[in-house]
Amino acid sequence: MEIMHKASSSLSCKISFFPSPDNIDSPRTLATPFRHSSASSNSQLLQLQLNRSKNHRPALSPLRCTASDSVKRQEMAGKDGQDPRIQKISSAIRVIPDFPKPGIMFQDITTLLLDTKAFRDTIDLFVERYKDKNISVVAGIEARGFIFGPPIALAIGAKFVPMRKPNKLPGEVISEEYSLEYGTDKMEMHVGAVEAGERALIIDDLIATGGTLCAAIRLLERVGVHVVECACVIELPELKGRDRLGDKPLFVLVDGA
Amino acid sequence: MSAYRDEDPRIQGIKTKIRVVPNFPKPGIMFQDITTLLLDPKAFKDTIDLFVERYKGKNISVVAGIEARGFIFGPPIALAIGAKFVPLRKPRKLPGEVISEEYILEYGRDCLEMHVGAVEPGERALVVDDLIATGGTLCAAMNLLERVGAEVIECACLIELPELQGRGRLNGKPLYVLVEYQ
Repeated sequence: MEIMHKASSSLSCKISFFPSPDNIDSPRTLATPFRHSSASSNSQLLQLQLNRSKNHRPALSPLRCTASDSVKRQEMAGKDGQDPRIQKISSAIRVIPDFPKPGIMFQDITTLLLDTKAFRDTIDLFVERYKDKNISVVAGIEARGFIFGPPIALAIGAKFVPMRKPNKLPGEVISEEYSLEYGTDKMEMHVGAVEAGERALIIDDLIATGGTLCAAIRLLERVGVHVVECACVIELPELKGRDRLGDKPLFVLVDGA
Repeated sequence: MSAYRDEDPRIQGIKTKIRVVPNFPKPGIMFQDITTLLLDPKAFKDTIDLFVERYKGKNISVVAGIEARGFIFGPPIALAIGAKFVPLRKPRKLPGEVISEEYILEYGRDCLEMHVGAVEPGERALVVDDLIATGGTLCAAMNLLERVGAEVIECACLIELPELQGRGRLNGKPLYVLVEYQ
């Protein structure tokens, strides 16, 4: 399956929120080449992992605007009208087969972090979408949500709230249990980190089944926070995580396969 | 040359935002909680700015952040100075080929891993974590980078616990911190 690209639907500007360093254009390539899986091996491997329903979901719609979006669409270059930055971001993500176990095609964002321009573009795409939405909280899910969340929070003037595995946060916490493929896990948030009525964004690198994001939504809603949107770099659409978020919109940059 | 920034007016604001939680994770430990700093956008921004001002223009091409709180401070610094960000992780989190460095804990050992190929020989690197205690983790981080031929320019932390003498365990590498907790 090809990696599909999703356009950002509410770009208003392309100004980078980080100053341009001198070495912005010098390429930094990972010594180990990227591996892109072929369509046929992909579908075989995915069969092992997915609970496919017989009724396929209709083709994915482009990224949704929230009802409150009133931002002008900028004229975008590129064949599909998608933001030209997406291509570079997508190709900077490395797919590692059979990690952490056979059959799983792991979407590795660490190679994106080695590409200074692509990493900055990733953050910019999120910041452009959220900066005028009165968001006061960016919640990032341990651990890769800690990489993308803080730069976004800093740029939009929001606080950053880490959502952690059990027993990592000191002091008083609230917990939310969630299902794994086998068994359950728990996510924790500090008591008092957020206040009722705040508007929040939840960030993680990837959405698969949506279980973790769901737990994060519940934690925030339990303390009276309004979750405006969930944002991820990558979505695995076959795992239907988007549907599990209920009425919460999901914004992603790239489809993984 | 390592330095404190007591004279910078932003330091006081940062210091007051760090919450000390007694007896965590076990009795007797006064845990330095930086999450309260992250709730104050100005103090969080000042923290990043202090590091960026120090390292901008020093030709640093790699910021290595130690899991997990180094992931919070490292990337904003990396983005602002135009460096790549390299996560240094607990075992079996990084996919693909890694190199490992073992280090000693109070009781037992632990391991830090880095991706093969993330860093090239000759690159100039910064290591970032929220806090230095005994220096064991930072040491392991520096060793990983040096093993692949990178030059560690400095280690940078928000907080130092000077009684634990971590500073002296960094193989002569300089340490820069914003705040010390006595």
